[in-house]
Amino acid sequence: MTLLQAVRYFLREATVNLLRGFRVSLVAVLTIAVSLLLGGSFLLASRNLAGSVTRWRGEMRVVVYLKPEATSQDLARLAAEAAREPWAAGVEAVSAPEARTRFQHVFPTLADLVEGAQDDPLPASIEIGLRRDQAARSGLDRRLAAWRRRPEVAMVDDDREWLAQLETAISVVRGVGLVLGGILLGAAIFTIGSVIRLTAYLHHEEIAVMRLVGATEFYIRGPFYAEGLLQGLLGGALASGGLYTAFRLAHSRGAASLLPSLFAAEFLTARQLAALVAVGALAGLLGAVSSLRREPL
Amino acid sequence: MIQFFHVSKRYPGGQTALDQVSFEIARGQFVFLTGPSGAGKTTLLRLIFREETPDDGQILVNGRNVASIPPRKIPYLRRTIGVVFQDFRLIPRKTVFENVTYLPRVLGCDSKQQKQLAYQALRRVGLAHRMNAFPLELSGGEQQRVAIARALVNEPEILIADEPTGNLDPDLAREILRLFLEVNLRGTTVLLATHDRDTIQRVGRRVLALDRGRLVSDHELAGSDPPEISLPPAEAPPPGAPGEAASTAALEAPADFDVGPGAPTASAGKPGAAEGAP
Repeated sequence: MTLLQAVRYFLREATVNLLRGFRVSLVAVLTIAVSLLLGGSFLLASRNLAGSVTRWRGEMRVVVYLKPEATSQDLARLAAEAAREPWAAGVEAVSAPEARTRFQHVFPTLADLVEGAQDDPLPASIEIGLRRDQAARSGLDRRLAAWRRRPEVAMVDDDREWLAQLETAISVVRGVGLVLGGILLGAAIFTIGSVIRLTAYLHHEEIAVMRLVGATEFYIRGPFYAEGLLQGLLGGALASGGLYTAFRLAHSRGAASLLPSLFAAEFLTARQLAALVAVGALAGLLGAVSSLRREPL
Repeated sequence: MIQFFHVSKRYPGGQTALDQVSFEIARGQFVFLTGPSGAGKTTLLRLIFREETPDDGQILVNGRNVASIPPRKIPYLRRTIGVVFQDFRLIPRKTVFENVTYLPRVLGCDSKQQKQLAYQALRRVGLAHRMNAFPLELSGGEQQRVAIARALVNEPEILIADEPTGNLDPDLAREILRLFLEVNLRGTTVLLATHDRDTIQRVGRRVLALDRGRLVSDHELAGSDPPEISLPPAEAPPPGAPGEAASTAALEAPADFDVGPGAPTASAGKPGAAEGAP
């Protein structure tokens, strides 16, 4: 028997077994689908968060807020000094009235908060764009420390600090996803293994006959391995479909809201989807192999 | 063809199934294996197709040491041996055709070849017209014939049968026995385990008798009422092939052998009944 003939036979027998034991197979397929859906969700969220971080890294800046007593001359002088910094990609001086106008423009519903105030409630500031190649250098930290010590400066807001915190959060999301997905995948492997063992038990008479007439172990076990593989593939496909449906739903119901834009701006790539399905198939195969290894046919 | 040299087999718990059993069955012979229940008949058969391994001694099947065959090679040994059991071991949810074509499928035969082989095997047992039936739609005798067809589908060199008539009434048992004799007539070596002494007495042939794991007798027996078996001319083996001499005449046990239990092992290593028949 050629390998192609064997594979065709395995798939045919596995399909028949799947259909014959539809209910138990469905449990196995759903278990693996749920675990992959969860893992895929975390993958989607961390991928999009990471994308946002990369995008934000391109727009990183340092904002130097001046004290209320700082004059417009101080603002101009400090802006000129900032422009000479080697790490500065661009400098914009924002006076206190400009800050108020910008606030009213950006947050029209909160405009009342700054409307009635006699003095400008928002401080003047200097927004300094960061050159990406300089962002990681320790010299930048020293220079920002020097800026913080200047008498005209109230505070320095460094985008890199919260971006670093966000990156930590992404790592946590990934870790939690991996652990939860791993636990559920383990459960799915166990379930598939149990289903395969049950199928093998139901076929024990046939297996005995096949062994009697001279079938090799590969030929006898092949259909069961293929069945595990198919269950995993179906689970992976189901998880991919579910993930895409959830993604579309999130977008259709709240395209402008923060969560979809942060966690689900883009769907998984074809390669990532293929990997998800492949993990399902691998888990199914592993379940079949481990169950038949633990309990010889 | 089949050689046992001082073969012993003990089961866990110390029970001795076979004790220092030695014999030789030549190609083309028809041999009865007899003895009371628990004598070791089934164990002996299982040793031949390597369902069991001996604790001591050597077993040669077609010159191959069965005990030392690596596990992955066992299937290739089994493809040369047809096995028939008392309980038929047919798969109820498979048709007769599917039951018979397990081995052709394993060997990668296409559906046309499978049909051809199944038809040939089923025709030999007279069931070619029941190819699409399910086992439970058949009588006990027909089920056993299907099991025989499955064992014969690959034209094995050896056919072993463990109490193949044990579940059948006397008429059906006679019919099944006739099939085994026909198979032997075509040159297949047949080893048939039974505790039915009447059948053995009637048919005759070489008889190996076991008792509590020991081979207590190996003798030729002239049948009191041997069935007349002949092959259709188209199926007669070519000149010189095993069974060729027997194919032209009714099969009767040779009269010049010692009969009765305890007779010397005169036939060991000699051509089988099919070859030696007048």
